[in-house]
Amino acid sequence: MLKVLRQASLGVVSALALTTAALANPYEEYAGETLIVNFPAHPHFDAVMKILPEFTKETGIEVEVDQLPYLKMRERQTLELAQDEGEYDLIAYVVFSKADYVYADQLENLARYFMNPKLADPAYDADDLIDGYVYNIGFAGGNKGYLEGKTGSLFGIPYGSETSVLGYRKDIFDKHGLKVPETYEELLEIACKIPELEPGMGGLSSRAASGHHASHAFLLHLAPLGGRIFDDQWNPIVNNEAGVQAANALKTIVECGPEGAASFGFGEALGSFLNGDTAMFLDTTVVAGQINDPAKSQVVGKVGWAMHPMGVRRGSQTGGFGIGIPKNAENKEAAFLLMQWLTSKHGDKLVAMQGGNPSRFSTHADPDVNEKFPHMATFGEALKHADPDWRPIIPVWGKINADLGTTLSKVLTEDLDVQEALDGVAERTKAVMDEAGYYTWQ
Amino acid sequence: MRAQTLNRATPYMFMAPAAIIMAIALLYPLGYMIYGSFRDWNPSQSIGESEFVGLKNYITLFFDPAFRESLSVTLTFAFAVVVAEMVIGVGLALLLDRNIRGMSVLRTLFILPMMIAPVVVGLMWRYMYHPTVGTFNTTLKSWGFDGIDWLGQNALLSVIIADVWQWTPFIFILALAALQSLPRSALEAARIDGATAWQQIIHIKLPLMMPVLIVTGLLRLIDAFKVLEVILVMTEGGPGLSTEIVALRISRTATEFRELGVAAAMSNYLLMLLLLLTVAMFAITRLQEARAQRAARQIQED
Amino acid sequence: MQYERQNPAFYALLAALIFMSVGPILLMFVNSFKLDVDIIGGRTGLLFLPTIRNYETALCDVLWYEPDHLDFCSLKFGGAFINSLIIALASTVITLVIGCMAAYALVRFRFMGRDTISLSTLMVRMVPPAVLLVPVFGLWNNEFCIDKATMVGGWIRDTFGGRGDVCLAGTHSGIILVYVAMNLPFVIWILQSFIVQVPRSLEEAARVDGAGPFQVFFKIVLPLIKPGLAAAAIFTFRIAWNEYLLASALSDRNTKTVPILIVNNMSEFNVEWGVIMATGMLLAIPPIIFTLFASRQIITGMTAGAVKG
Repeated sequence: MLKVLRQASLGVVSALALTTAALANPYEEYAGETLIVNFPAHPHFDAVMKILPEFTKETGIEVEVDQLPYLKMRERQTLELAQDEGEYDLIAYVVFSKADYVYADQLENLARYFMNPKLADPAYDADDLIDGYVYNIGFAGGNKGYLEGKTGSLFGIPYGSETSVLGYRKDIFDKHGLKVPETYEELLEIACKIPELEPGMGGLSSRAASGHHASHAFLLHLAPLGGRIFDDQWNPIVNNEAGVQAANALKTIVECGPEGAASFGFGEALGSFLNGDTAMFLDTTVVAGQINDPAKSQVVGKVGWAMHPMGVRRGSQTGGFGIGIPKNAENKEAAFLLMQWLTSKHGDKLVAMQGGNPSRFSTHADPDVNEKFPHMATFGEALKHADPDWRPIIPVWGKINADLGTTLSKVLTEDLDVQEALDGVAERTKAVMDEAGYYTWQ
Repeated sequence: MRAQTLNRATPYMFMAPAAIIMAIALLYPLGYMIYGSFRDWNPSQSIGESEFVGLKNYITLFFDPAFRESLSVTLTFAFAVVVAEMVIGVGLALLLDRNIRGMSVLRTLFILPMMIAPVVVGLMWRYMYHPTVGTFNTTLKSWGFDGIDWLGQNALLSVIIADVWQWTPFIFILALAALQSLPRSALEAARIDGATAWQQIIHIKLPLMMPVLIVTGLLRLIDAFKVLEVILVMTEGGPGLSTEIVALRISRTATEFRELGVAAAMSNYLLMLLLLLTVAMFAITRLQEARAQRAARQIQED
Repeated sequence: MQYERQNPAFYALLAALIFMSVGPILLMFVNSFKLDVDIIGGRTGLLFLPTIRNYETALCDVLWYEPDHLDFCSLKFGGAFINSLIIALASTVITLVIGCMAAYALVRFRFMGRDTISLSTLMVRMVPPAVLLVPVFGLWNNEFCIDKATMVGGWIRDTFGGRGDVCLAGTHSGIILVYVAMNLPFVIWILQSFIVQVPRSLEEAARVDGAGPFQVFFKIVLPLIKPGLAAAAIFTFRIAWNEYLLASALSDRNTKTVPILIVNNMSEFNVEWGVIMATGMLLAIPPIIFTLFASRQIITGMTAGAVKG
């Protein structure tokens, strides 16, 4: 009886809260508008698709999503953002598009929205957003031109923060009494030991296919091993000792990896792990959802998670997407409201519960989220070590990245000498940078 | 008078729609491309905002090892598929040129692969080539062999095999048609003279089919330069640049590297190459026609 | 007609050939009824529980019920299929009508510029779609536009919605235009070889009876070249239906065609083999049907198109 009463009173209270909210509803003015947003085909944004109806219900703003593979998405955006009037009200962009869009003056500076008391939610708590990602994805104009700093400002908000973690097969590790690798030496040693211990099984599955797959895999190892693409004067140093070490690490991993590893894209690499053909997987955190999905995975419940192993430092990847408002958008203010809602504590938790990648410290520590996804705490820890300068985010990066990726693929499949290959990359990179004017002040 | 002007205008009225459409959607774009190839042009600008750079794009490309490699991949691919398809297709045509029940059903089944979308062909083969779960490697392994790293070490070969699968029937059908239209009298005469099957093929069938075969081969060669989707879906040009044909490189340069001017120059190189092949094809057909006419005249004079 | 008897090895060869050409298609068909775990699990063979789940996922936007296994419908296959149909059918019809007229003019009339046109038609046959990519992308997006401040542009924006200037890119007509232009040379070429065979005397007889040139064309010539038209139609449809590159450069979210959808869906994060095979199968069905019912016309078309080079 008492319980019923309590529930009833609760109902009254929440109804009251709703009416007060309706009185001062910041969304009211925009209810009925339809936002057109451009999101990538990506597990995190698949989760976002599931929470968007909730947004429409709460605010009355309709959302129509154009979901594209991310290279395709960039192509589309390049075109749309250049028009006088664009179709998209809100876009998700890949980290390295930030440079292009901001440089071409195509993204709204978010200051005028956060300054606007009618739009900015006082409970937003921006300090809770994971620092590295805000710097990496949101800021431009500060240090090195593409990071935070005194001259920088905010153009987007990270959404779907990925970092790299090591997934390993608990059953295999237990069976052979293996220790979860913490350093690169241990990682490489175990990776090559597994094919001996478990015939037919690969050590670590990594992406390695020509192009951005191979370069991504290389960059994963470069940062922890102490390397960088450029020094502070924009001179390419990818061919120094750390670079060679990283390329060799990649080579070893592919050689001790599952069959056909040299042609694996991300999908194949993950597929091999899902299928139980590989004992370890070192890549982005987005895969957790699929690994626990019995329709796709044969290793449900067998996977443990650990931090990205250390080389000379901790440096896991900063990847994922940011969301920003195009300069040529039609409904910028409503778009800001959507953006704020998605990245708020409320939205971040909702998306995390659907299997997305939260971007807030509080969500990673949230008990509900951790109960549903026990790996979330490890992921949160890993995010603290995410390296915002993991790869250079400059407009010419696309070209350098493509060259790096094809050259590394040659190292993996055609036995090109590592040092020679990286020297070549450095030389070509230097030429690209020179042409783009990075040495004007030297 | 009016009827006469109408008469004179008639051919132009029949021609006009086709001419207009081809002018605005084919010739003008080609001109636009050539114009663009002399400019430093990225997708966020309209062509008017781009900067004129003269022959720079062409020169850069000429010395660009990546472009050279993709050019050589294209040539290897095109010639390899044409040779393989000609040999297999003509061979099969000679073998199957018999009067058997169900020949039309057979032909129908053979042309299926050509009619299916290249995108779909690509995905079928990508699945079959899959290193661990693909059809080929699972079959090889169940027979006790090692799997082959199809799309890794042997990517170009794998791509060629897929194209041969799709297009050999084309050659087969044309060769069969040519075979069946050969003058029966010549074959009859040879048989009476006691020529073996091999002798008939080498001395009579093949020489008589040659004109059709050459044209078919050249046609296939030109088409082989147009292949793109199958490779895109199967390998995206990798590993390394090992399957990155020029068509694919054009599309990557335009979209991924955002260099429309360079992509245009590349397109122009490809176009010139194809123009050369087409002209060669014309020359050969004309030559053949001339020869056939001369032969016909001689027979008449005799 | 007497059929020859052949030895068993010959039939074995035939069986092998049939298996090779149809096998991959059957494999795709079978796999489209499997769950992803079964496909990547490498459990080949026919022992599995067939499921139509992949087709449900693919067609979720046109199904009358909501499949249980889906939280939301991400793949808009139905819409893409309709786009593909519109684009392929429209471009086939337009190409045929226009191509037929042009071929007739080239065969039957002598007029100034005839040889030039005939020659250039042949030359442009070799232009690969990839070469058109850059210019078509630039033109369709930036040049072939109507300012929305003009009357026509304003009217289009008011009626159909959307933003910015009205450009050819992103519309069905934009894609249709390229396909028509791309296919015209081939169609003109093969139709010429059919029109040549129409006896001139028939046309002259009609003209004596007082028919104008257009009447002659539509009433006498067209019915006689039906086989040629069928062949040309199938080839045009096939290219328009299967093309990926140009469509992907020109379409926007509302005009995507099926090949684009399939390539997009091979997204690297999540290769859903089952669904991809199902969409591939759906894309392949119309051409397969054509082939089964009109293989004679296809073969006629191929020979006519090739033999005269």
